[in-house]
Amino acid sequence: MSDQSQVNRSRRSLVIASACAGGAAAVATSVPFAASMLPSERAEALGAPVEADIGQLNPGEKMTVEWRGQPVWILHRTKEMLEEIERTDGKVADPKSERKKGELTPEYARNEYRSIKPEYLVVVGICSHLGCSPQDRLKPGPEAFESQWTGGFYCPCHGSLFDLAGRVYKNKPAPDNLKVPPYTYLSDTRILIGEDKKKA
Amino acid sequence: MAAAEKQAVTGAGPFNDLLTWIDQRFPLMETWRKHLTEYYAPKNFNFWYYFGSLALFVLVIQIVTGIFLTMNYKPDAAQAFASVEYIMREVPWGWWIRYMHSTGASLFFICVYLHMFRAMLYGSYRRPRELLWIFGVLIFLCLMAEAFFGYLLPWGQMSYWGAQVIVNLFDAIPVIGPDLAIWIRGDFVVSDATLNRFFAYHVIAVPLALLALVVAHLLALHEVGSSNPDGVEIKNVKDPKTGRPLDGIPFHPYYTVKDTFGVVVFLIVFSMVVFFAPDAGGYFLEHNNFIPADPLKTPAHIAPVWYFTPYYSILRATTDDFVLWVLAPGVVAFALLLIWSMKKNSTRMTVGVTAIVLLAGLLNLDAKVWGVVLMATSVMIFFFLPWLDRSPVKSIRYKGPITKTALTLFVIVFFVLGYLGTESVTEGRTLAAQIGTAVYFLFFFLMPWYSKIDKCLPEPERVTSK
Amino acid sequence: MKALVVLLALAAQLALAAEEPVRLDSAPIDPRDVASLQTGARSFVNYCLNCHSAGMMRYHKLLDLGLTEQQVKENLLFTTDKIGELMNVAMTRKDAKEWLGTAPPDLSVIARARGPDWLYTYMRSFYRDPESATGWNNMVFEHVAMPHVLWTLSGQQVQEERKFKNMEQAEAVGRQQKNAWKIDVLTPDQAGKDGERFILKTIRTETAGSLSQIEYDIMVRDLVNFMTWMSEPNQITRKQVGYVVMLVLLVLLVLTYLLYKEFWKDVH
Ligand code: HEM
Ligand code: FES
Repeated sequence: MSDQSQVNRSRRSLVIASACAGGAAAVATSVPFAASMLPSERAEALGAPVEADIGQLNPGEKMTVEWRGQPVWILHRTKEMLEEIERTDGKVADPKSERKKGELTPEYARNEYRSIKPEYLVVVGICSHLGCSPQDRLKPGPEAFESQWTGGFYCPCHGSLFDLAGRVYKNKPAPDNLKVPPYTYLSDTRILIGEDKKKA
Repeated sequence: MAAAEKQAVTGAGPFNDLLTWIDQRFPLMETWRKHLTEYYAPKNFNFWYYFGSLALFVLVIQIVTGIFLTMNYKPDAAQAFASVEYIMREVPWGWWIRYMHSTGASLFFICVYLHMFRAMLYGSYRRPRELLWIFGVLIFLCLMAEAFFGYLLPWGQMSYWGAQVIVNLFDAIPVIGPDLAIWIRGDFVVSDATLNRFFAYHVIAVPLALLALVVAHLLALHEVGSSNPDGVEIKNVKDPKTGRPLDGIPFHPYYTVKDTFGVVVFLIVFSMVVFFAPDAGGYFLEHNNFIPADPLKTPAHIAPVWYFTPYYSILRATTDDFVLWVLAPGVVAFALLLIWSMKKNSTRMTVGVTAIVLLAGLLNLDAKVWGVVLMATSVMIFFFLPWLDRSPVKSIRYKGPITKTALTLFVIVFFVLGYLGTESVTEGRTLAAQIGTAVYFLFFFLMPWYSKIDKCLPEPERVTSK
Repeated sequence: MKALVVLLALAAQLALAAEEPVRLDSAPIDPRDVASLQTGARSFVNYCLNCHSAGMMRYHKLLDLGLTEQQVKENLLFTTDKIGELMNVAMTRKDAKEWLGTAPPDLSVIARARGPDWLYTYMRSFYRDPESATGWNNMVFEHVAMPHVLWTLSGQQVQEERKFKNMEQAEAVGRQQKNAWKIDVLTPDQAGKDGERFILKTIRTETAGSLSQIEYDIMVRDLVNFMTWMSEPNQITRKQVGYVVMLVLLVLLVLTYLLYKEFWKDVH
């Protein structure tokens, strides 16, 4: 009888050992398969920094450049616009850009206007809710979605609002401000998007 | 109330309740028992019996790696070649996935060939396993189709010219051939249209058929039970109390653990190729296939991948002289043999007329046609094996010297033809291939006679261990 | 009548001298030799990339050879200024066809198609041939459309023929050659009275280039080394992963074997 249990015990430990080893090997094998679905080297190469020439951009105008397949907005803000931004501090959820600092707002843009130079806003035009691209509603004035609109962006998908510094309004579906990409001024009129100064 | 009749599942620890819940709504335990724990397999399986489960395992490898390849592969003549290189270089771990797939294709054939050879050794195709065998041959045909379609996809020189040659085989069919070949290609030459449809066959059409056939194959197996190296039925000797075959053991756990060990050995061989010699010296990935397809220039030396070369040799061996001096006399001799051994006059008449029609064809149609016919026959003939073998015993262990010699010759000839198919033609090699072709067919066509007159040993009552 | 035709056809076949393939030198390459790969990369970019593309290869991948981004940008980027680009070529295929008669093939995976030995021998087998359009011919690749782009380094070679009575003698002399050689075999008829049927073809340097033969061989070795690496840049990783996988499988082998034997104790 004890003989039998002896056999069973060694059998059980072998089953367990093999199952664990086999399971671990199977999991390890699945990692390369999952990893193969990450962006390839080509995708990373296409994600290389892009240059934008802002020489022709008049005050109050916005341009869009493509970076990693996403729209990056460059808005030349007027004096009035900058004043509006200060006035919306109370309406927005994260006025000082303190949430997810590293990810959403590089250090050099962690200021009132969320930019290196106050006149130029550079943000990724993708809503932080579910990824639609918000529309321009740059002019202040009453709007259907906000009677005391001070200018900014309106997301058509689920109604999130952003001010002229890309800061999200309180009580809206979108949780966060628009992302400021890494960027740097190559000269007064040329911006490199996708790369900080510290890297180059 | 069927649910109430079923007993609760026990022995699964914390999962007992869940399994019971499922079992009352789905034939879970019944299936488990029927196909695993109470499926009795003979206890004397040897080395040759590993290859069935291994073939199934490779099928899984091919499907999984195939799905991941499809995520990055482009079935477009302008992009296909580069997209495969893109997988090799730029997709994370893409090289590994691609090499598994290309190596898997070759090892699939090795497993299937050995699996089939096992059946020939031990007479596994004999009654009552004829249908099981037929499903198997169908799987083999699908596998050939799958590999052929897949081989076009990398769009290298060998892909292109290989497909060109094989599709043109259909061109040889009298009357409809040329139109048929155009219909298959969807163009006048192998082109983007061909690539695109071959992709559809390769990633979905053939795999579906293959899976369905594998299921049918296994169902048939579990209906009649496995054969074994002694070729005797374990069902004949049962324990009178339990009704279980005395020489049978439950598939699970005995053969599951054994086959798992087999899988690991297989994986070692597989990984040695994948990681250390993925092109296997040009046999698994041909050198010329690293040159993009060029419809204007055929490579100096073209040969199919190794697993097709025996049939390719037979195709090339069929020259005018071969038809005149070997095939035609062969048909006459075979017809006489049949007429001599048949009793009924009506059958004799049929044989005679068929032979005359064949002979007329042989002397009038191009050798090209007969090359294609012979090649097709060399594969299709496997279907008829259950009826060609008329030996009183199943296993080679108890068969007589003639059968043993015939099978040995067949294996040698299969290898020789395979080797010759990878080489360019010379007069000597063509002659060798012609002799090989003759032996290949004699093995099958004379089987009804030699298997019958051979001096066999008596089969044992029960299986012998080792 | 028919027999006569057959005989004639046979005779015609025999009359053609049999041409043996060139004996290839084995390329002393080593894909782990990073210095050699770097030198090879530079030669490739300087001399080959003018006409041939390596369109499946990204400059960025050169970082795997131990080069920094700065080094790649300064020394190896001529056709573009972005390190994320593919190694394409400025010349269009149409122009190329006009100038050279054939579009130069892409070289990304050429080492897998031809093999390193072929490439190594080929790059060392050009010789002057006044009859060819480019003024060059090649032992390994008869009537090649490519000119000898490295001739200022290697100097100029010419082909030489020597006749022998038997194969062994010809081969013995051939084996002493530092460069490619081949032996053409004539029929007894063609050979004439002296019976010297075996023609050994070799090349000889006529005017020296800026490199000695040894230096030139090393340079070609590095170039071929790079091209072989480029044909499968993940080959080193592949083997490294392979060792780990083999180790894991060996452990599994032991475990599953024990498991199998353990259960099969029951079977008598
Ligand atoms: C019985 C199973 C299979 C066999 C024998 C097989 C065989 C082959 C072969 C010989 C090649 C060319 C290999 C090369 O030179 O790279 C190939 C390529 C390919 N196969 Fe399969 N295959 C099978 C199943 C599948 C399945 C199920 C899929 C998709 C779901 C698939 C997707 C592909 C793709 C996308 C390619 C082109 C990429 C490449 O050339 O590496 N295969 N296959
Ligand atoms: S995506 Fe913008 S509000 Fe939902």
